[in-house]
Amino acid sequence: MTSTLPLANWDPMAQFGADAHSVRDPHPELARRRREQPIAPRAAWGEGGKAVSGYELYRYDDCAAVLRDNETFSSESIRANMEMVMGPYPLVGMDEPDHKRLRSLVAQAFRQKTLAHFEDDLVVPVVDEMIDGFVDRGEAELVREMTYRYPVQVIAVILGLPRDDYERFHAWASAIISVGAQPMEGVKASAELRGYLEGVLADRRAHPREDLVSELASTELDGERLGDEELYSFVRLLLPAGAETTYRATGNLLFGLLSEPPQFDAVRADRSHLTAAVEEAIRWEPPLLITSRVAAKDAEVAGTPIPAGTQIIPNIGSANRDETRWDDAETFNLFREAKPVISFGVGPHMCLGMHLARMEMRAAVNRLLDRCPNLRFDPAAVTRDDPHIHGETFRSPTTLPVRFDVVA
Amino acid sequence: MLRIEIDPEKCMGSGNCSFWAPATFDLGEDGIAYVLDPEGDDEDKILLAGQGCPTQAIAIWRDDQRIV
Repeated sequence: MTSTLPLANWDPMAQFGADAHSVRDPHPELARRRREQPIAPRAAWGEGGKAVSGYELYRYDDCAAVLRDNETFSSESIRANMEMVMGPYPLVGMDEPDHKRLRSLVAQAFRQKTLAHFEDDLVVPVVDEMIDGFVDRGEAELVREMTYRYPVQVIAVILGLPRDDYERFHAWASAIISVGAQPMEGVKASAELRGYLEGVLADRRAHPREDLVSELASTELDGERLGDEELYSFVRLLLPAGAETTYRATGNLLFGLLSEPPQFDAVRADRSHLTAAVEEAIRWEPPLLITSRVAAKDAEVAGTPIPAGTQIIPNIGSANRDETRWDDAETFNLFREAKPVISFGVGPHMCLGMHLARMEMRAAVNRLLDRCPNLRFDPAAVTRDDPHIHGETFRSPTTLPVRFDVVA
Repeated sequence: MLRIEIDPEKCMGSGNCSFWAPATFDLGEDGIAYVLDPEGDDEDKILLAGQGCPTQAIAIWRDDQRIV
């Protein structure tokens, strides 16, 4: 067993310590690089943690071009880093033709239409249970009491895990997500979770239900099925890909809205603005700023020759604030003209879970607005705790202290 | 009026187009996008769907001019 600490005792800031002491706000430096140094050398690690040469990219067009060209720029660099905890088939780190085959098999479960019933049946009850915990108090700290907790539970619900296993599942999830900070814990949790999933899969093969494990076990495309190891890899990948990112992105959305009361009021008055608010939040502060590729052959990027084997790190957080594409790019403004962003990546690996993530973020804010009237930052706590969006690889609020009216 | 073409070989079924312009694009049973109604949404939404396609599988023409 990994830790069996009650969920409430997990401290997200301590857990994601890898970023806690890093740069508070990388954006001024990223803006300088977009202007003066659009491609810069950067330390990178390949197979087995071996140092390799790498470059980071900062402009939108350069980042998008690399992410779209999956023949020149392979995702092998991600696989090399993830295999230890994700097993042999991490979709995010695979190249063609294996990637397309596997993605097509799992994609059906993540389509917008499949997800339509998820919102009311699965996501809203999870969100409501979190809100139940503080709704009578008139105040809350939304990172620890809500945003940090609900996405893992949504995944547990979607997978169809028994309720009694949620705490254990969250402990494994947390250890797997923090593998960078504590590798041994992460590897151990990954092996334990794989063992646990064997039992779940065997049960669903014998007694299929309406849940994701049953669906993944039975899904078939052109006579092909998902292998057991592929399924275990995929489910483990959902944790960093689906839980951590959504936790951070929901925090950033709430931080943006709480910091801009007129925009928050507009959303309150007309919930249809929430779609634009989600898009703007992920543009302004994507939860994960960087991804990586490795040049499969000699190439040229941003006017610089790139020898095969060099890692390329597109900085998505920088690309999304490219001032040649957006006016006043550094500010959160949900009323700006809609344009595609690359927070979910772009190209053949574009985030499979983007529709689920958007829906979860909308559901979280919608239920907060439904149940916590006059939701606002707690001014005393803001002065005392200095809430801010923190980090340079992963970014999310340190804390979200709020007050609201208690409905009698 | 716009003319829209989707290259099924390039499409990877992200559903990005049907997110931006749900009355114009849909995904088939095979997970590949198709055009439901070339005038299903406002033009700016259709263009957004086209520009945002992760694999550039969508081509859009106005009259004889390719605009995406």
